[in-house]
Amino acid sequence: MTKMLEIQHLKKNFDKNEVLKDISATVNKGQVITIIGPSGSGKSTLLRCLNVLERPTSGKVIFDGKDLTNIDEKELDQLREKMGMVFQNFNLFPNMNVIENIKLAPMKVKGMSDQEAEKIALDLLDKVGLKDRANQSPSSLSGGQQQRVAIARALAMDPEVMLFDEPTSALDPEMVGEVLKVMQDLADSGMTMVIVTHEMGFAKEVSDIVWFMADGYLQEKGSPEQIFDHPQSDRAQDFLSKVLK
Amino acid sequence: MKKGKMIKALSIILAMLAIIFATVTPSYAASSSQTSTTKKVAKGSVLKRIKAKKELVVGTSADYPPLEFTTSENGSTKYVGVDIELAKEIAKDLGVKLVIKNMSFDSLLVALETGKIDMVISGMTPTPERKESVDFSKIYYKPSGEYFLINKKDATKYTNIKSLKGKTVGAQTGSIQYNEIKSQMKGSTVKGLGKINNLVLALQSGKVSAVLMEELIAKAYAQNNNNLKAVKSDIKDDAAGNAVAMAKGQPDLVAAVNKTINKVKKNNLIDNKFLPQAAKYMKTANKTNKMSQYWSYFLKGVGYTIVITVFSVLIGIILGIILALMRLSRNKLLHCLAVAYIEFIRGTPQMVQILFVYFGVGYLISNLSAIIAGIIAIGLNSGAYVAEDIRSGIDSLPKGQVEAARSLGLSQAKAYRYVIIPQAIRNIWPALGNEFITLLKDSSLVSVIGVSELMYQTQLVQTSTYRGVLPLFIAMVIYFIMTFSLTRLLNYFERRMKKND
Repeated sequence: MTKMLEIQHLKKNFDKNEVLKDISATVNKGQVITIIGPSGSGKSTLLRCLNVLERPTSGKVIFDGKDLTNIDEKELDQLREKMGMVFQNFNLFPNMNVIENIKLAPMKVKGMSDQEAEKIALDLLDKVGLKDRANQSPSSLSGGQQQRVAIARALAMDPEVMLFDEPTSALDPEMVGEVLKVMQDLADSGMTMVIVTHEMGFAKEVSDIVWFMADGYLQEKGSPEQIFDHPQSDRAQDFLSKVLK
Repeated sequence: MKKGKMIKALSIILAMLAIIFATVTPSYAASSSQTSTTKKVAKGSVLKRIKAKKELVVGTSADYPPLEFTTSENGSTKYVGVDIELAKEIAKDLGVKLVIKNMSFDSLLVALETGKIDMVISGMTPTPERKESVDFSKIYYKPSGEYFLINKKDATKYTNIKSLKGKTVGAQTGSIQYNEIKSQMKGSTVKGLGKINNLVLALQSGKVSAVLMEELIAKAYAQNNNNLKAVKSDIKDDAAGNAVAMAKGQPDLVAAVNKTINKVKKNNLIDNKFLPQAAKYMKTANKTNKMSQYWSYFLKGVGYTIVITVFSVLIGIILGIILALMRLSRNKLLHCLAVAYIEFIRGTPQMVQILFVYFGVGYLISNLSAIIAGIIAIGLNSGAYVAEDIRSGIDSLPKGQVEAARSLGLSQAKAYRYVIIPQAIRNIWPALGNEFITLLKDSSLVSVIGVSELMYQTQLVQTSTYRGVLPLFIAMVIYFIMTFSLTRLLNYFERRMKKND
């Protein structure tokens, strides 16, 4: 198995508050990893350190043979192209319509022509079931639809890994399913994915590996069966007993 | 933390001031060995410059008939009067073209010292104080005495110095008359204004009880306005008459001017030719003081006001974006420079900034024209306010917008260009609109450095027509039409941007 991402002794402090305390882990190509754990345990911070939206205090994040915490901005921009990210609040650009949102990065970063980018964007919109919404403004879409556009936007750069930061937490319950379905399809297609989520059922279903985080530590790693059915640590047992009923 | 930042910003402001003074003072120090007030104009350089450019630039305050005033000929402004005729003679004798620069009386000497003009011919009396900073030609014209201009209804009330005790008397700021009131009318309060027509306005609206001026000028106003009366004053006029002022250390130029004055005196040109001609123009002015004759004045003013506004807005937007980005930058130096600039500009009056750019920066760049100086000054000022608008617009955007753009591989610059700035502009559009409307109105301030924008043209109309309030009212209406149209235009764009939402 080839390594996609390697995290070595990662630490992150916000002022005096230690959020991540010495995290080491590996993501292999084609793996779907879900990160679960109680609120405030550092899951999102860990994910945001992977593409250096949050700069780690110490430690390394190795991607494509390079330590992302120790390269110049330009190189970092180039590596970020290969790491798609989906946010809790979608973060679509309201000054553009749906298809322009998707076309922006391929055109301005990769220098693609308008036609090329248009073709890719329409294919992706078709994949997430929103081809007919191409020319609407993001604000006219429901939350679930916006999140699907955001996924298509990240995929348009043809990334090697996709990072999901609680992609369904801001959605009304009836819209969670449509987003999870798109993510499931993506996982089935062999995409490497790291997902921070509170959807335990989905995590169990889709993951190859589950990381359980608490108190800034990666407490347990393992297959969904291991983590959900036979948690080892007290923190994991306690957490799962509360969320799984 | 916050206090530390403030101290840092303050020290940067002080450092900037130090740099400004450091760049200005060397030229000051270098020539101060000659006299304490000659700063920039090099010895014997003015005549050379006149000959090289084939142009004689004469400064005057054209609101002083019959010496210097404006008249309208075929719809364009023409400077006329005794002093203008003399200037023409001097230019003719030097074999160069004459250029008249009209500005307020109290700016004339500064303009002379900073090399903006070659000489001043503006009914100026050589006093010991003035002689310290400039040189004078011989006397070319001796006025006949000081008169009070008063409202006709006060004709029996105000007849001499004594009757004006406890009252306010007006005179042009920086003029001989101003000093005469101060020294000889101890019981009265003196009120100084830059322009004679504003003094006459002050008289008509009761702000002053009388205005002290030379006989011919007082009579001209009385003739052209039935409500005014000229009364001979009992002021002891020990003034030596009028002379041409030039920068210090120009003996060749003084000699050339004296030669022309000798010729004019020998042929008695002032009494025989210049004064009758001026009188003729004054009558013309009397005949045509209907506002409809002066629409072209206002039109020209509107043109300049629009030009100044458009270019200042452009400078303001570009500078504003740069400053806003500097202020948001992680680079401490850029951040502090931007903060210092913005605080300094916002903390000083725009009028002072305009004068500083024209006279102070014009010091370093000698052929900086008034309109360019005006546009730069207003643009620099507007940049500080636009920067703050843009910064607040950027600050109000959710952090996720930059993060989403960066996570797609967009560089910081591209993220701002395609995602952040367009949204920020849309958010702050109403605030920007207000800023541009303020800018359009504030463009009237550059009239102080003699740019022919609407306010300046309005003052010309006041002088030419001997009417004070009506031109102001017309100017006000024109300004309102312009700002109102601008508001509509901005609203239109705002609606269009909303539609794209």
